[in-house]
Amino acid sequence: MTDDTQALATGLRQRDPDLLDRLIEQYQQRLYRYLLFLTGNPPLAEDLFQETWIRVLERGSQYNGKSKFESWLFAIARNLVIDASRRKKISSLEDLGDPDSNTPYDPPDERAASVLQMLVSRENEQSVQLSLLKIPAYYREVLLLRFSEELGLEEIAGVMATPVSTVKSRLYRGLAALKTAMTEGAA
Amino acid sequence: MNENLHERAHQLLAESIVEGLRPADEAWLREHLAACSGCAQEAAATQSVLRALRAVPVSVPRDLAARAQLRVRLRAQQSSPAATGSFWLWAVTAASWLLGVFSAPLVWRGFAWLGANFGVPKLALEFGFVLWWTVPPLLAAAIILHQKALTAEWSNKN
Repeated sequence: MTDDTQALATGLRQRDPDLLDRLIEQYQQRLYRYLLFLTGNPPLAEDLFQETWIRVLERGSQYNGKSKFESWLFAIARNLVIDASRRKKISSLEDLGDPDSNTPYDPPDERAASVLQMLVSRENEQSVQLSLLKIPAYYREVLLLRFSEELGLEEIAGVMATPVSTVKSRLYRGLAALKTAMTEGAA
Repeated sequence: MNENLHERAHQLLAESIVEGLRPADEAWLREHLAACSGCAQEAAATQSVLRALRAVPVSVPRDLAARAQLRVRLRAQQSSPAATGSFWLWAVTAASWLLGVFSAPLVWRGFAWLGANFGVPKLALEFGFVLWWTVPPLLAAAIILHQKALTAEWSNKN
């Protein structure tokens, strides 16, 4: 445990409001982006953003400082998204669980790659963003955690409470699904 | 070039992104990409997608952090002082009950003295004695309920 995470764990146990203010400032961009990409719904993402920090206040004593704070934070946010999707019956989020991890990974075909090249040559970031919203939430989530948040495989597994093998499988499938979505978007 | 080699290259490209490659595989892929323009383009395209993924722009609503900070502070005020307050409330109640038990004979003697000297009827004395014990806790309960109602109203407004 580093001194920083130790101090963080102590502050959270003491429900230090100044510490929480700083954390909210520091993680607002990352947490909101994660929630927005999971839900695809800005008002819901805003509600869940606030709920997440209330949970951090109430369950701060459960953070032991052994993992990265952001992994713990995203795990809380993820559970709230799952609760909200059950309450509000948001179909796109109904299954953040394990979709089909037993099927072997199929590499993308040549045709998909060529369209991908065409798209990227246009440097169309908006296309990536739109395509992300077309793929299932469980792929979107893992891609975001890995490539936007730059979490390690084990950290992602901690956030999602799944084995590392499932995380890898979803990353492979997610990348393939993203390419397919971009291909279809370009067609 | 053999189709299987391209397939392997694509598979290794995906592996390099997801979990990294062993040095031997990395060397093989580097060599293949140097010789195969199609796979090299695929690698460049994949890297560009990843760059785009990292750069996905999301603008946080301007007052979102401030709203969250306010809600967290309100919740902290509601729960933390209440917990402390309830401890003191129980402590004071316990002390009050002990004092009441030990002072009851004295209080009753005081009421009896009032009755004897001022001719107060026995029923009025008994009623006064009951009020002596019930009014303070009823007042305390009313104050607590009022405070809770004010807190709830305040948090609803915010």
